[in-house]
Amino acid sequence: MALDLSMPILVVDDYQTMVRIIRNLLKQLGFEEVDDASDGTAALARLKGRKYGLVISDWNMEPMTGYELLRHVRADEALRTTPFIMVTAESKTENVIAAKKAGVNNYIVKPFNAATLKTKIEAVCGS
Amino acid sequence: MGFLRKPIAGAPVSPVHDPMSMSVINELVEIAEYITHMREEIAALRANEMTRDRIPMAHEELGNVLSATAGATNTIMEAAEAMLCLPDEAGYRAGVEGHINTIFEACAFQDITGQRISKVVEALRQFELRLARFSNAVKARDAASIDPAESQRRARAETLLLNGPQIGGPATSQDDIDALFA
Repeated sequence: MALDLSMPILVVDDYQTMVRIIRNLLKQLGFEEVDDASDGTAALARLKGRKYGLVISDWNMEPMTGYELLRHVRADEALRTTPFIMVTAESKTENVIAAKKAGVNNYIVKPFNAATLKTKIEAVCGS
Repeated sequence: MGFLRKPIAGAPVSPVHDPMSMSVINELVEIAEYITHMREEIAALRANEMTRDRIPMAHEELGNVLSATAGATNTIMEAAEAMLCLPDEAGYRAGVEGHINTIFEACAFQDITGQRISKVVEALRQFELRLARFSNAVKARDAASIDPAESQRRARAETLLLNGPQIGGPATSQDDIDALFA
């Protein structure tokens, strides 16, 4: 599937090493426009300032979790269509179902590899 | 307190001979014995040792584990990123080998952090043993209510489904999750 490698991607995680890992994996996949935020509040501020082609977010962050961020994004008229992938260790079925109901486009369980990330991005953003 | 139960020769009738007073005295004796027992059990907790030595040690060791892990991760990632940026020319292999050696060296953190974590685990085991003994000795029951901050934290975790990583790997596999999104 063809991916728009020029689209900006927002990575949201409070663990800087994970941000760095995802950044590097995205770079290997050919994405150069990658921004990051350390929690949902910071992510929302970034989302209001730039149009992103994809949000990749962790779940467990403070003060605003990835789940709350997802609900904010889906409730905002200007942001509601932004593709959103949850990348998280919160892997109970109830979490996955809650995220799906809230409008997440895909869900990756940590730890993951580059192939999984690529497959999910293609599934969500591929045209 | 046993002397209270002895009648005094020639003395007028003492209240201690009154069954009601004897009952009170017996209860006081039991309370005194319980307090003595409780003091022994509290001493066995060695709370001062825990708060003065073991808990600060556990904090310090875990803090060191965190910084050693972060430091090693940083070194490994820097080496990997540097390898990705190596030019495709003569000397490439030597460059890669240099960075790989750096990664090997950084992985030595696991030995040190393993030893630090073992010390913390041993301290926790000691807490557990002493608290269990104390709890049994005083027949402790947990209070029904929890403090408001803890209650708030639990409510937030429940509402936002904050479970954290599961022991022994993910609760739901990636394949099962994919099936939910298919």
